[in-house]
Amino acid sequence: MHRRHFIKKLFSLAAAAITGCFPWRLATAAWPETHFGKGELNQLFRALFGEQTLIESDDIHVSLPETAENGAVVPITISSELEQISRIYIWVEKNPTPLAAEFELDASMAVYLTARIKMAESCHVVVVAEQGQHLLRKQQWVKVMQGGCGTG
Amino acid sequence: MATKIRTQQGEQFTEIKILISHPMENGRNRDPMTGQLIPAHFIQELKVEKNDRTMITAQLGGSMSQNPFFTFRMKDSKSGDRLRVYWIDNLGLSDSAEHVIE
Repeated sequence: MHRRHFIKKLFSLAAAAITGCFPWRLATAAWPETHFGKGELNQLFRALFGEQTLIESDDIHVSLPETAENGAVVPITISSELEQISRIYIWVEKNPTPLAAEFELDASMAVYLTARIKMAESCHVVVVAEQGQHLLRKQQWVKVMQGGCGTG
Repeated sequence: MATKIRTQQGEQFTEIKILISHPMENGRNRDPMTGQLIPAHFIQELKVEKNDRTMITAQLGGSMSQNPFFTFRMKDSKSGDRLRVYWIDNLGLSDSAEHVIE
C-alpha cells in the first residue's frame, strides 16, 4: 500500500516536472469535456444551451462542399456581417462525438473563419453562433462519398 | 509537431493562417497492421494572442481533421503587431509559434 502511494506520487511529480517545462502550458482542465460528449445532437444542445431556442438565421454564412469525396478532410468557411458574435460552434450531426470545435472571438476579430472537419457519413453540419443573448443556427447538408471508420 | 503562422494584409482585414502538424486521433481508428485501437490524441485548446491580448480561444475535439488548418481575420492590426499561437493536446503536449506582422 505504502509503496503504491509512493509510486503514484513519483509519477505525479514526474508529470508535473515534464508539463512544467512548457512555458505556455494551459490548463487542460478548461476543456469542456461534456460539450464534446457522445450522443444525439438535440440532447447535446439541451445540455449545453438549456431550453433556449435556436433561431434559424441566414445572416450566418456557412460554406461547405455539397459533396465531400473524403470525409476525413471537409473544408468549412463561416462568416457573418452581424455584430457582437462572441462564440461559434461547429457540430457534425452524425459523428459519434458531434461537436468539432467551439471558438471564442474577441470583438476585434471579424466574424470569419475556416477550418477542416471530419465527417463519418452524410449529414447536416450545424453552426451555432452566440450573439448576446441569442443563439443563431445555420445548417447545411453534406453528402459524404467516403466516410470510413473512425473519421468522425 | 510543428506550428506555422502566416499573415496577409488585406484592405479591411489582416488574415491569419495557422497550420499545425498533429495526428488529431479521436480514439476510434484502428491500426491497419495490428488491428489495435489507436489511442485518442488531439489538440484540445488553441489560443491566438495579439500583443498579449487573447483574440481567439478555440476548444477542439477529435472531429477536427488531421493537421489542423485555420484562417481568421483581424479587423484592426498594424505592422509590428506580434501574434502568438499556442495549443495543448489531451496528452499534455503543447507548442507555440510567434509571428510579427510586416
